[in-house]
Amino acid sequence: MGSEIIVVIVVATALIFDFTNGFHDTANVVATSISTRAMPPKLAVGYASILNFVGAFISLEVAATVAKDVVEIQANSIGLLAVFGGLVGAIAWNLITWYFGLPSSSSHALIGGMVGAVFVAEGADAIFFEEGVIGKVMVPALVAPTLAFIVGGFAILVLYRIVGRMRPGPVTSGFRFGQVISGGLLALAHGTNDAQKTMGVITLALVANGTIAADDFHVPDWVVVSAATAIALGTYVGGWRIIKTMGSRIHKMDAAQGFAAQGAGSTVILAASHVGFPLSTTHTISGAVIGSGAAKRLSAVRWGVAGNIVVAWVLTLPAAAVIGGATYLVTRLFGTGAAGPIVVSTLIVIGTVLLFVRRSHQGAAPGVVPAAEGAP
Amino acid sequence: MIATVVDWDALLQVIWVSLVAGVGVTAAWGFALLGSTRAIEVGRERRVAEAAIYAVVGVAGLVAVVASIVFGIVVLTGD
Repeated sequence: MGSEIIVVIVVATALIFDFTNGFHDTANVVATSISTRAMPPKLAVGYASILNFVGAFISLEVAATVAKDVVEIQANSIGLLAVFGGLVGAIAWNLITWYFGLPSSSSHALIGGMVGAVFVAEGADAIFFEEGVIGKVMVPALVAPTLAFIVGGFAILVLYRIVGRMRPGPVTSGFRFGQVISGGLLALAHGTNDAQKTMGVITLALVANGTIAADDFHVPDWVVVSAATAIALGTYVGGWRIIKTMGSRIHKMDAAQGFAAQGAGSTVILAASHVGFPLSTTHTISGAVIGSGAAKRLSAVRWGVAGNIVVAWVLTLPAAAVIGGATYLVTRLFGTGAAGPIVVSTLIVIGTVLLFVRRSHQGAAPGVVPAAEGAP
Repeated sequence: MIATVVDWDALLQVIWVSLVAGVGVTAAWGFALLGSTRAIEVGRERRVAEAAIYAVVGVAGLVAVVASIVFGIVVLTGD
């Protein structure tokens, strides 16, 4: 009975993480379409929500990587508590970075939290550090934004060569219409890569609980549907906040740049999802936006945003790992039953409320959404 | 160490697919716009042959975009 309660808490925590991922990333997905006036804000947010939901059903390669290739979980209560510790590590790091306005990546936080908690719980042998953490997470995490930058840059240069001498009116209208397609692909790609990380973590918990045999890995349908629903709802709810603030936070870009950036970001994320690389979608989309701006005029780009990505890349994995490991230790103070997760969950909820209250008294947090602020 | 632990086949696949699809689809959309817009412009001037050529360019660009997206989704959902 105790382990069933822990599973319920882990699944609920994972879905809340998924919701906040969608909530936080709405800006990255819809900012370009709205800033170029390709779509009205309400329509863009609704459209992105639906395609985030659909995208979650496209592939399960990333879920398999998160569940099988990064850490090895034992089918017992220790493994289950480690998954819980990892999730809390990711959520806590996201809250801390949000509060202090530091750049972060939910995806890196999730992987870091898992690695830290499993390392403390099961030892170094339970971490696939070389082929998993380095080979499938860290190197792709470095390559993806760089690749998106290059693809975005090349794409806009080619576009300007093709349509550069045409009258701006019809061209702008054409690219705005094109952004309905490229923006849809970007939302699809975001749902595909990010929702699968939650699916992977929930599946990991089910393996630890013995619900799924480790040698019979599969993602249950209810996990796919619930993760898809959580990220879609998060995207929709997050959109209302973005609609209110984006007028002052987003710099204008032309429709061709928006189209090129969305096309570059979505192709990189979809290609990576196909081979099972769990990327930071925020960093990838930011890379594409910066690339499409840099190709037009280097001085138009906010290079500080690129610096933020590097800082987030260096900080997030180890910091979330430390918090994940510490959370596991705190949870184990209460034994291997459900008491630890219940106490820690309660503390996290209280801490979150206190942070929100404190932040609301201090005013809005500094921007932590690179793509939204980095548009040239 | 990195040379041995990275799945280079997968990583290179991501790189070339992203470059070809990202730049290719964007360029195809550019040709679709160029062809359709120019076809209308020169058609108004009764330059029928030129308009037909631009129309073909436009349609080819549009077909390339749609075909690429459909192909990509089929590949992604195929596993």
